[in-house]
Amino acid sequence: MPEESPQLLPGTLYMLVLRTLAAGPLHGYAIARRIKQCSANVLDVEEGSLYPSLNRMLLKGWLKAEWGTSETNRKARFYRLTKEGQKQLASEADEFERLITAIQLVMKTA
Amino acid sequence: MQFLKELWRRLRWLASRSRFESELADEIRFHIESRAEELEQSGVSRADAMACARREFGSRLKAAEDTSGAWQVQWLEDLFSDLRYAARALRRNPAFALTAIFCLALGIGANTTIFNITTSFLFSEPSCRDSASLVSIWEGGNSASSLADYEFVRDARIFEGMAGINVEREVNWRDGDRTRRFYAGVVTDDFFSTLQIPFLLGRGIAPGETNTAVLSYRVWRSVFAADPAILGRKLILEGQVYVVAGVLPANHRSVAGFGISPEVYLPVSHSEDYLQFYARLPKGTNLSIARERLRSVFAQLDRIQPKDGWKRTDAVRVSGVTGFDVLNQMMPGAVTAFFAMLLIVVGLVLLIACTNVASLLLARASSRSHELAIRLSLGASRRRIVRHLLAESLLISVLGAVAGLAINLACADVIRNLTLPVPIPLQLVVLPDWRLLWYAFAIVLASALLCGLLPALQAVRRDVNDALKQEEHQTGRKWDVRGVLVAGQLAVSIVLLATGFLFVHNLLRATTLNPGFDIHHTIWAYVRLVPDKYKDPLQAKQMSLIHTALEQIRALPGVEAAAITRGVPLNSNCVTGTSLRTDISPTLVHAEYQCNNVGPDYFRTFAIPILRGREFSSGDRKDSEAVAVVNETFARTLFGNINPVGHSIATEFPNDKAKMIVGVVKDSKYFTLSEKQRLAVYEPYFALDEPINLHFVIRTTGSPAAFAKPITDLLGRLDSSAAIEAKPMSAALGLALLPSQAGAVMLGSMGALGLVLAAIGLYGVLLYSVSRRIREIGLRMALGATPGDVLRVIFRQSLILMGSGMGAGLLLALFAMQPLALFLVPGLSTLDSTAFLAVIGVLAAVALLAALGPAARALRVDPMVALRYE
Repeated sequence: MPEESPQLLPGTLYMLVLRTLAAGPLHGYAIARRIKQCSANVLDVEEGSLYPSLNRMLLKGWLKAEWGTSETNRKARFYRLTKEGQKQLASEADEFERLITAIQLVMKTA
Repeated sequence: MQFLKELWRRLRWLASRSRFESELADEIRFHIESRAEELEQSGVSRADAMACARREFGSRLKAAEDTSGAWQVQWLEDLFSDLRYAARALRRNPAFALTAIFCLALGIGANTTIFNITTSFLFSEPSCRDSASLVSIWEGGNSASSLADYEFVRDARIFEGMAGINVEREVNWRDGDRTRRFYAGVVTDDFFSTLQIPFLLGRGIAPGETNTAVLSYRVWRSVFAADPAILGRKLILEGQVYVVAGVLPANHRSVAGFGISPEVYLPVSHSEDYLQFYARLPKGTNLSIARERLRSVFAQLDRIQPKDGWKRTDAVRVSGVTGFDVLNQMMPGAVTAFFAMLLIVVGLVLLIACTNVASLLLARASSRSHELAIRLSLGASRRRIVRHLLAESLLISVLGAVAGLAINLACADVIRNLTLPVPIPLQLVVLPDWRLLWYAFAIVLASALLCGLLPALQAVRRDVNDALKQEEHQTGRKWDVRGVLVAGQLAVSIVLLATGFLFVHNLLRATTLNPGFDIHHTIWAYVRLVPDKYKDPLQAKQMSLIHTALEQIRALPGVEAAAITRGVPLNSNCVTGTSLRTDISPTLVHAEYQCNNVGPDYFRTFAIPILRGREFSSGDRKDSEAVAVVNETFARTLFGNINPVGHSIATEFPNDKAKMIVGVVKDSKYFTLSEKQRLAVYEPYFALDEPINLHFVIRTTGSPAAFAKPITDLLGRLDSSAAIEAKPMSAALGLALLPSQAGAVMLGSMGALGLVLAAIGLYGVLLYSVSRRIREIGLRMALGATPGDVLRVIFRQSLILMGSGMGAGLLLALFAMQPLALFLVPGLSTLDSTAFLAVIGVLAAVALLAALGPAARALRVDPMVALRYE
C-alpha cells in the first residue's frame, strides 16, 4: 500500500491551480495530473474539491473557461489564466513564500 | 466594483443554469474517461479501469452540487422564489390582485401625469446642446433689449457665443389667395449655431442668412401636411420670400420655457426689434464673473449712447435657463403654488390607493393566518415570512406601476395634442423622461413598503397557538386596523372631493360672472397688417384703412356700433405702475392701473355704462388736448367723492402732459375674471404714436356669430396681405377662463378619483366583515332575526365608518383648504357651503351603494350552511 498522500494546506489549492495554468490553458483532468506529477506524486488533488474551486475562481474572474479539443481528440473544457488571475497568483505566491520561510525559521531555531 | 462584476457573472450563470449543468456533467464524464484511459494503458481491463476511475472520483452528484453551490446567491434565489410564490398566490386570487393593481395604477398614473405636467411646465430643459452653460441676460433690469445693444455685447466677445430671440412676434403668410397669421420667433443669425438645437429635417438659420425660415413640428404637420419635400419650399411671409431651411422635432422645447413655442422662426430684420439675450458661458467662468464683465461692457455702452432716465448697468442679470433659476424669475407665485397644490393632491390620491391595497392585504393576511401559523410552527423564521409577504406587495406595486405608466403615456399623448384656447403659442411637450422614471420608481418602493409592511407585521405578531387553535374567529373589537384605515381614507377623500367641488363651483361662478361688458352681442375682429407696407411717418395709410374699415362695418345691416381698440379685455394685459398727481392735491400717489387706448364708440359697443361725462370722440387726437376716461375705482381712489370730470391727472415725469379727465365709466374686468377690482385709465386710440395692432370690436343686433364671415370678407377686401380673425367675444374668453378651467378639470378629476378609490376601500371592508360574520348572521337569522335586522347591522357599520370618516374629513377640510382662497374668484370662499353639502350628499350615496353588495351577500346567508361550520 502506498503512503497516504498528505492533506493540502488549506487555501493552497487556488495557488497550485493558478501556477499550473501559468504555462498555458489546461482542462480539469490535466490540472490534477500536472499537480500530481510536479509534486512527485505527493500531492493528490481530490476531484470532489477541484471542480468547485475551479468554479469559484471563474466567479472571481481569475480564470476563463472555453471548450476545446483534448490531446486525445475529445471535447474538453480548458481553463485559462486571466490578467486578474496572474495578479492573484503573484500575490499568493509571495505570501506563501514568506509564510514558509517563517515556519522553517521556527522549525530550525526553536 | 468587484461585487458588481461577481453579481453580473452570477446572474449570467442563473440565466444559463441548465446549460451549465449539462456542461458540468460532460466535464466530469471527460475527467473520469481520461483517468480510465490512463489506467488502461497500464494494463488494466477496460471495465476495471472505468470502475476504478469512478471510484476514485467519488460522488459525482456531490461534486456537481458543490460546483453549482459556488455560484449560488442565497438572497437572490430567495427573492426569486418569493416572487414566484407571490405570483402564484396572485394568480389564485385574481379579483384581489386586479383590484389592488387597479387602485395602484390609478394612483401612480395620476401622480406621474401631474408630475410630468409640472416638470415640463415649470422645469423644462430647453432643447439645445449643454443647456447648463447657457445663460439669459437682462440689461438694465429689462428682459428684452435692442438689436443694436445685442450687437455691441456680441462684439465685445466676453462669451463663447450669443443668441437673441423675440418670441412675441407675428407674421402673415400669404397662401394662395388667403392670408394666415403665425406666431413667430425672430432670431439673430447666430441663434441656432450658438444653441445647437437638434433638427428633425434640415438645419437652422445660418449666420449671414436673411431669407430662411424654420418651422415648428406642429405647423409642419397641421399646415403643410407633413410634406417630406418641405425643405427649400418658398413661403411668402410678410410680403417677402423665405426659404424653409429646417423643421424642428416634435419634442422641441424652446429656450423661452413654460411651453412657449413659436410656430415659425425668422431672422431678425428690423433694427428696432427687441430681443431676449442668451449667451454661452466660457469654460472656467461662473455667473458672477460673467456679470462683472457684462457690467463693464454695459458701462462702456452707457458712455457712448446714454439712455434717458436709466442705465444699462442697473440690475444686470445673468442667470441659468433651466430649473429653479427660471422659476424664481419668471413665474408668478400663484402658478407655482397651483402646481405645488396639485402635487399634494395627487399625493393624497396615491395615499388612498396605497391604503386600499394595504387594507386588501390585511384582509388576505388575516384570512391566511392559519396558513402562516402552520408555516411558523414548522420552523419558518418570522423574517422569512415578512419578506415573503413584502414580495407580494412589491409584485403588486411593480405591476401597478407598469399599468400606471401606461395610463401616464396615454394621458401624455392627449396633453401633447391639446391646443389651449389662448392667444399665445403655448404647447407643453410632455414626454416621459428620467425624472419621471426615478419618480415612478420611488413611488413603487414607497407604496410597496406602505402597503405591505403593516399587514406583514400584523400577520407575524399573532400568537401561533391562538391562530392554530381557532380558525378565523371574529375578533370582538369593533375598530380593527382596517376600520381605522377606511375611516382615514374617507376623511382624505372628503378633503379631495371638497377641493374638487370647490373648483368646479369656481368655474361655474367664473363662467357666469359678469365681466362688466357685453360679451353676448359683440364680435372681435383682429386685423394683422404687414408692418412694412404701412411705413410712412404719419401713418396716414393705416389711419385711412381704419376709418374706411369702421365706415364699412358700421354700414353693414345689423351692426349697431363699432370701435377700434389697442387691447381687447380679457385677452391682453397692460398694466402701468407709476406715481400720479391730481390737480386737487399736490401729493404724489403711487397707483397701479390697467391701461388701454380706445376709439370713439368703444364704451357704447361693449355697453359699459358711462357714469359721468362723455366717451372719446373723433376729435380726441394726438394734436388735440390730452384727455382720459377713468373707471369708478380709479375715480374713487384718486378723487374720493369729488367728480373727477374736468380735473386732470399727471405722472411724476415733467415731460408728460397732464391729462384732462372727460368721463368716468363703470368698473369691468380687464385681464382675468377672478381679478380683484382694478383701477383703469383709457386714452384715445388716435392719440397713439404708432398704432400697430388693429382690433375692431363690433356690436350687433342679432347673434354675433353670423357676422364673423361678412366682417372677415369685408376687412380682407381692404388689404389682401392682412391676416384677419373674427370671433364672437363670448368665444374669446379662453385665456380668462383657463385658470378656472384647469383648476376644475384637474382637481375635479382628482376628487372623483379619490372618491372611486375610497368607495372601493369601503366596499372591500364591508364585504370582508360580512364574510367574517357569516356565522353570526346565520345564528341571528336562526334565532329569528328578520332580513331588515340583518340589513340594519350592515348599514349601521357602513354609516359608522362613513360618519367618523366624514367628521374627521370635514374638520380637516376646513383647515386644509384655507390657502386655496388664492385661486378663487371674488365672492367665493373656501368655506363654500354648496361644495360641502354636495360632498356630504355624494358620500352618503356612496356609503349606501358600497353597502348594497355586502348587504345582498348577508341576505343570501343560509343559516343551516352557516351554522354547520361549528
